[in-house]
Amino acid sequence: MTGLLSPANAAALAELPLLHIVVAAPFVAAMLLLFINDTKPLAVRLIGVAGSTVSLIASVAIALAYDMTAGGIQMTSSLPLVPSLGISLELGVDGWGVSLLLLTGLIMFAGAFASWTVKTRGREFYLMLLVLVTGVFGVFVSLDLFVFFLFYEIAVLPMYLLIGIWGSSNKVADAGPFKFIWKLLDVGGKEYAAMKLTLMLLIGSALIVAAMIAMYIEAGSTSFDLRHLEKTHFSLGLQMWAFPALWIGFGTLAGIWPFHTWSPDGHASAPTAVSMLHAGVLMKLGAFGVMRIGMVLLPEGAREWAWLVGGVAAINILYGAFAAMAQKDLKYIIAYSSVSHMGVVMLGAATLTVNGWNGAVYQMFAHGLMTGLFFALVGLIYEQAHSRWIPDFGGFAKKQPFIAAFFTLGCLSSLGLPGLAGFVAEWLVFLGAWQSAFSWWAIVGLLGAWITAIYVLRATRRIFWGPAPDPKWTDIRDPIGTEWVALWLLGLALVVFGAVPGLVMDFIDLTTAETLPRVAGQALEVLR
Amino acid sequence: MSHQTLALFVLLSPLVAAVVLFIVAPLRVRGPVSAGITIASTAISLGASVMLAMARMFGQSAPNVDIQAAWLPGGGKVLSTVGVYVDPVAAPMMVVVALVALCVQVYSLGYLGHEPSRDRGRYFAYHALFAFSMLGLVMAPNLLQLFLCWELVGLASYLLIGYYWTKPSAGQAALKAFWVTKFADMGLMLGLMVLFVKTGGFDWTVPPGQVLMTADAEVIAGLLFLAVVGKSAQFPMHIWLPDAMEGPTPVSALLHAATMVAAGVYLIVRAYPIFSLAPTVLTFMVYLGAFTALFAAIVAVFQDDIKKVLAFSTCSQLGYMVAALGTGSMVSGYFHLTTHAFFKALLFLTAGSLIHAVHSNSLHDMGGLWKKMKPTGVLLIIGSLALAGFPMTSGFFSKDLILEELLHAGHIVPLIAAIAAAGLTAFYMTRVVMLSLFGAPSEAAEHAHESPAVMLAPMALLGALALVGGLLHGDFAKMAGAEAAFHITPVGIIATATGLTGIAAGLWRFSPGKRAAVGSQWVSAPMRFVTWLTGNAPVDRAFALFYRRVMLTAAAGVAWFDRYIIDALINLSGWAVLKGAERFRRLQTGRPADYIYAVIAGLIALTAMGVM
Repeated sequence: MTGLLSPANAAALAELPLLHIVVAAPFVAAMLLLFINDTKPLAVRLIGVAGSTVSLIASVAIALAYDMTAGGIQMTSSLPLVPSLGISLELGVDGWGVSLLLLTGLIMFAGAFASWTVKTRGREFYLMLLVLVTGVFGVFVSLDLFVFFLFYEIAVLPMYLLIGIWGSSNKVADAGPFKFIWKLLDVGGKEYAAMKLTLMLLIGSALIVAAMIAMYIEAGSTSFDLRHLEKTHFSLGLQMWAFPALWIGFGTLAGIWPFHTWSPDGHASAPTAVSMLHAGVLMKLGAFGVMRIGMVLLPEGAREWAWLVGGVAAINILYGAFAAMAQKDLKYIIAYSSVSHMGVVMLGAATLTVNGWNGAVYQMFAHGLMTGLFFALVGLIYEQAHSRWIPDFGGFAKKQPFIAAFFTLGCLSSLGLPGLAGFVAEWLVFLGAWQSAFSWWAIVGLLGAWITAIYVLRATRRIFWGPAPDPKWTDIRDPIGTEWVALWLLGLALVVFGAVPGLVMDFIDLTTAETLPRVAGQALEVLR
Repeated sequence: MSHQTLALFVLLSPLVAAVVLFIVAPLRVRGPVSAGITIASTAISLGASVMLAMARMFGQSAPNVDIQAAWLPGGGKVLSTVGVYVDPVAAPMMVVVALVALCVQVYSLGYLGHEPSRDRGRYFAYHALFAFSMLGLVMAPNLLQLFLCWELVGLASYLLIGYYWTKPSAGQAALKAFWVTKFADMGLMLGLMVLFVKTGGFDWTVPPGQVLMTADAEVIAGLLFLAVVGKSAQFPMHIWLPDAMEGPTPVSALLHAATMVAAGVYLIVRAYPIFSLAPTVLTFMVYLGAFTALFAAIVAVFQDDIKKVLAFSTCSQLGYMVAALGTGSMVSGYFHLTTHAFFKALLFLTAGSLIHAVHSNSLHDMGGLWKKMKPTGVLLIIGSLALAGFPMTSGFFSKDLILEELLHAGHIVPLIAAIAAAGLTAFYMTRVVMLSLFGAPSEAAEHAHESPAVMLAPMALLGALALVGGLLHGDFAKMAGAEAAFHITPVGIIATATGLTGIAAGLWRFSPGKRAAVGSQWVSAPMRFVTWLTGNAPVDRAFALFYRRVMLTAAAGVAWFDRYIIDALINLSGWAVLKGAERFRRLQTGRPADYIYAVIAGLIALTAMGVM
């Protein structure tokens, strides 16, 4: 998106408090909702949409205002919060941040429209959603580790209520050696899913806090500023334990194996917009945390543990793909495919190569769009068919030609078809993997993409192709009105950012080129 | 217009058509509008392609067109570019693609005339996508763009095979084609990765000042060839091609005979600087190509579905091309690609015309159509003669060139296989001609009508090219910097004699009188066994078994493990906390005396610790 504005205009734009706007807009909208009567659903929705729109516009403006020739962290501002501890609201954005802000803006905007049909407690629903997205925006612009973590928690916690109140329950047959658990925990219920998700992520948070405090103390107990911490050379002893702590802590949210099991149940139980935001954006917070905090601040830890991070990511890719292939519930397929695709992100991060890192961040972006589109579609199908059970489906393309087309588009991006955003990311990650010290990762990645091709196209055929649908599906139809927004927005984004990846990749590459040498060290020049 | 502009027109006009038709639904759902946009865009491509090619053939040598734009950054540098590149290698293929595409699209106007308007619109939108991606493949300035478009033509193939999506068999065929070729494409991706690591780019020429070691070239060429085996339907990955005949017949003509399946061969032609450094891979290509040529020709003899005969024939002919490229002669393989594109597209279109008339693919539902459909019949015979390598037709020149190259390179066993396949080819095509056109008409054939002019005209054009296209062989060779004057050689005479024998055998075996006596089917038990053995069944079954037994079992296993072990262990921790809490709760008895005892015990313990 470089060169769309003249330098003077871009500089003028950068003078505006864009980062504050992008974070504050959803929060202000959420606060406004407190003063709206729940009997006015349209007003509630419009406020939700307005908050998201302002954030989307601001995130596009940030991309336009970001100075590509200067690079680095830009639009910084500072507001001391607890001076005695060195905690301060430091905002700023780098190339990765720009791309992920854009993603969040797009997904939230689409999600605000996808929530149009929420019937019960619409006001509270939008409120939670807006608070959640405030946290997400906050993470991407925070330069203070403490504030970073604060926003991180703000993003994670509303999920408990959103799933627990507005979610749906799944039936999970009891079997296996641990059958006795089922009754006590109500496995598959929405409260169970909400609880599991929250508890697992909170255990991850505990690990993050431990590593964070240790780093703070070793850096002199004066500041949580990331730029200060980046300059500190942490002892190898600290790096060796703190990096895995951050990796597992943040990684749980990114769905790393075997701490991914909150994801299928959580995503399957969550209402449409929540699944969109959660799989589309929140999981990226985890991967972003591993890269931005774990790897950049603890480079030696990252190098020493790269074999494990990448090895687990390789497991993620294949394991998630195989697990998705066996699912019969549509939402579970998408949820497991997220586990597989987030493995691609982590694999790219572990390669410690330019292409791998570019691919990892781009995969966050591409997977966010794709899975957002998927969950929006699944929501539409579920709303009309009241079922997600694929064996009952078939021939839906007759009545839902556009949903079928958009679903196919998502599938194609998912399996890495060139011309769509997913390909760019996967190709770079695999290329980076081949250049890394562990070439076999690339082969695992390629196999994963092939298995993805099997299960997504198989699902498409079972749902949409075939003879005319069963007479019981009388109510299914194509989208109407506001339901189109998410589909067109995210669908076109997949194509545009797949055909012209430079629009976003230029930002990502800038930050990768700046930060990677520090992490990859000597290895970089050899591997480039 | 400058050549730069022309080259951009070739690629951008179908792109614009595809983008417009995919996004603007009101245009797409109107069949005639969609058809008009697609055909107009292909016509523009064809015109520009012809102008570009004329300036590069017949002894002229215009400078190459090379327009590239940065596509992906990497570490502050440009990792890869996209653009258009026209050189003497790309130019003829551009014309072939645009020409056959245009013929097929015009033909489709008639062939699909009875389909609902909405479906026709979708069909032509897919065609625009295909034309763009195939031309992008041909005009790619580097192997990465070639790969991007390689995948996109795979998508177009998937969509077009699945055009009749309400038919379960079409859905399965579309998936099978995609999965098999996608599996093979992993080789291409991996090959590009190795190439990138070894040379720092995705170019097919090794950058000046760099040397590509033979071992590395073997690896890269071997991996690229894996993708060729998938796309160009070489044994054992040919299994998707016969199933792909589920698509409408014009699609089979364009994608699964003339152009898309030839993309694999084109990849070898394009990456020849790398392949020529890899002698082992080249030798392997000769043997695999010759084997596929013979194998598929045998199978084709036993097919009763006219499209399946042609599909296996395509496998067989692609085998010739692969074998030819393996001998180190780029020209012969590439030339056969070109002539094959014309006569095989023609054959599929004539087959479509017959199918259109009798509403069946089976040769047994045809017969006696010569009386009803003379123009189609003549064109079918022309195509068959060209495919059989009848003297002076286009197939004669290109096949002869290949056989000579095999002899020159000293590959005697593949040469014998190729000559035998030539005989079989002549035999099975004669069978098709005899069964469909002559003899007693079937019930359906009684009511057959000749196809409309909109279908016959493109067939006639292709028929003319199938007849005289062979005369271009000298120009073709010059373009690649080689001399290939045609001369009569012993190999050529043997091959031609074998071909004529095949025709004669076919005429004798399937003459109406003989057929009345022994029937048109191969009924004897040994013949049935041969049919089974050589048909798709064994290989197909192996793949199906792999899919069910390995992939689906692994999937079910992983899913079970995830739910009942991994997740259950996590649940177990929650369960343990709850149960543990229940136990510990009993400490809170609620009786004051118990708490006082605890306080006293604590005091004693602390005092004891203080004393010690």
